[in-house]
Amino acid sequence: MRKINNITSEKKKIPESKRQFCSFQMAGHYFGVDILDVKEIIDEVVLTKIHHAPPEMLGFVNIRGHVHLVLDLRLLLNFSTKSIDESSRVLLFHPNVGESFGVMVDQIGHMIEVEESLIEYRVTEENISGIARDFRKTELEKGVCKLEDKLLIILDASKFLNAVELKR
Amino acid sequence: MKQTGVATKIIFLSCGIALLLMVVGCIIVVQYEIVLLNKMTDIKVDEKENYYLYRLYSEKKILTNQLTLQVNNLITLMKSVDVIYEQTFAFQIQSLLTHPMVVAAEFCDKTGQSFLVGWKSNTVQTAKKFPSTLQLKQYMVINKQTEIPSVEIIRLYYTIEKIEQQIQVLKNQEMNELHETRNNIYKQLNGLFLAQSIGSFLVVALLGATLIISLRWLILNPINYLMGIARQLKKLDLSVEITTTTASHELNSLAQALGQLLEGFRKIIADVKENANMLSGSADNMTDIAEQLSNHSEEAESKANIVAEASVQISANIHTIANSVEQISDNMEMVSSTSDFLFNNINSVANAIEELSSSLTHVGERAKNGTKIAEQAVVLAKKAGKTVNSLRHAADEIGGVSEFIQRIAHKTNILSLNATIEAASAGSAGRGFSVVASAIQEFAEQSSRAAKDITDRIASVQKGTFEIENVFKDVSSIIREMNESSESISFAVIEQTKAVQEIASNALEADERARNINVSIEDLSRTVNDAAENTAQVAMGANDVSTRIQGVSESLSFNRQISHQINETAIVLNHLSSNLKCMVDPFKVSHQLISNNNNKE
Repeated sequence: MRKINNITSEKKKIPESKRQFCSFQMAGHYFGVDILDVKEIIDEVVLTKIHHAPPEMLGFVNIRGHVHLVLDLRLLLNFSTKSIDESSRVLLFHPNVGESFGVMVDQIGHMIEVEESLIEYRVTEENISGIARDFRKTELEKGVCKLEDKLLIILDASKFLNAVELKR
Repeated sequence: MKQTGVATKIIFLSCGIALLLMVVGCIIVVQYEIVLLNKMTDIKVDEKENYYLYRLYSEKKILTNQLTLQVNNLITLMKSVDVIYEQTFAFQIQSLLTHPMVVAAEFCDKTGQSFLVGWKSNTVQTAKKFPSTLQLKQYMVINKQTEIPSVEIIRLYYTIEKIEQQIQVLKNQEMNELHETRNNIYKQLNGLFLAQSIGSFLVVALLGATLIISLRWLILNPINYLMGIARQLKKLDLSVEITTTTASHELNSLAQALGQLLEGFRKIIADVKENANMLSGSADNMTDIAEQLSNHSEEAESKANIVAEASVQISANIHTIANSVEQISDNMEMVSSTSDFLFNNINSVANAIEELSSSLTHVGERAKNGTKIAEQAVVLAKKAGKTVNSLRHAADEIGGVSEFIQRIAHKTNILSLNATIEAASAGSAGRGFSVVASAIQEFAEQSSRAAKDITDRIASVQKGTFEIENVFKDVSSIIREMNESSESISFAVIEQTKAVQEIASNALEADERARNINVSIEDLSRTVNDAAENTAQVAMGANDVSTRIQGVSESLSFNRQISHQINETAIVLNHLSSNLKCMVDPFKVSHQLISNNNNKE
């Protein structure tokens, strides 16, 4: 019910029924998050590792005096880990998504503007049993956007922190 | 056919002997078989007789035992009874006499006197004593003592005649059978003998027939053929053709060999005939030639005389030759002048060689110049290498700059993305700014692409400079080699100048030699003068020759006499050849020749 409310609120914000996504690549797949959830993209990352933390937490990063937690989205999506290289970027999210955190992605893409009609949302039905609802991957992805040559998987940024907790 | 008769006789004789041998063999075998048979039958008869003897004996024993047993039984029966009546005795005697072999029985009391007897005549009779007519001694007796008071002894008389008779009858029957079998076998053996003799006669006849036929076919026919050829050969007729071609057996190969011999002989005779003809012709020719030879020798004699005259003329001609020799000596002087000219030419050659040596020294100097130039080229090549190296360093720096540009482009890209995010968060107010941000992103991408392009180009430039450096290294090594080779050239030129100087000295020597030649030619002219004198002597010799030729004409007359003798010999040879022809003529070589000869006759 909350999701549906969110969608209606977003619809209000963009009256032309267009939505913008910040796209990125990971292990050859295209993913996207809502641009309104993104605060900033950072290219030069100096990570401070947190010991005794779960492997999904890569460490802290200092951005202009503010400390942010960085998560490994690859591990959250059950891909194998990969070392940080030139094309690695950190997406920082708005404080209304979660408490000052970001995710590490392999390669950043363009900002994409699409019609609302091209997006198909996954609707979790209420009558599905508890075990099915605990299935984490279905929780992380919100829906699929049909582009001209490929499919963009839209992720829900607000679930990332919960996913780390669930995994523990 | 006489030959056939002889062969047939031989065959018949051998066949007859074979037949006789076979018949004799047959008889011997049959006789032997008969002897064997007789022996066998005799053995068989002996065996039979023994067998019957034994049987008789055993029968007798059995009978005795049987009867003894019966008597014993009787005694035990009597013992078992307390009181014995006389009737009982009679009854017992009768019962004893029921046995077919028992003739009589006698019961005796203690005194040994018989008190009851029974015997068989036609019926069983009983009495107190045996009648005197009864002859009991011929029978066998069993005496048995009883321990009964009333009867002391029981005597039993019995006979084995019947058994003997039976056995005799059986024996006779078997003997008869044996004899019959033997007679049958005799008959069969006779038949066998007859069959064997007939069979052997047939075999011998068949053998004889095949032998005769094969003899006729394989040996007599070829022999006849050969005989016919021999008859013709007897008449000295060699024109016989032997047609056998295959050497299937000895006679055929013999015939073939004979044919080859005949052919060779025929050829030889034909050749002899021909040669005899030719010989007689040649002998005729020879007589003619000998006559001609004598004529010619006469002619030769006359011609020799003419030659003698000619020889005189020759001596005169030799005189003229002496004159010509003198002329030759004049010519020799001319030659000496020519040799002078040659001497001058050699002088000029020596001069030319000196000029050549001077030009070679010039070449040596040029080669030295070449080495200097090569050294300069090496220095220049090194300089060019350094320049290329600096070029490569500059290219590396350009690469660094382009990398920097690329980094800036990435930063710009990030900046534009962030700007887009900010514009989006500003909502409809930021829409214009978002357009600007996207434009900036595009520019950033373009600049990054351009930077990548530059780095690629710079890489290719670096590759080129590297290759140029290598090429310069090669070039400098080549120039060094050139330098070395020009040095070696200058060395070689120095050695060549030395060699040319030697050649010049040799040319001077040659000059002296030419002078020597001049002197020798003068010697030669002197020798030619001597030759002229010698020719005069030759003229004298020619006179001698004319006298010798006269001697030749004399010997030619002797030659003529010899040719006469040859003529006579040729005539003799002619006679001999005609004789040979007469000897050879009787041989007929071929049918055609025969007919020709006939025609001639």
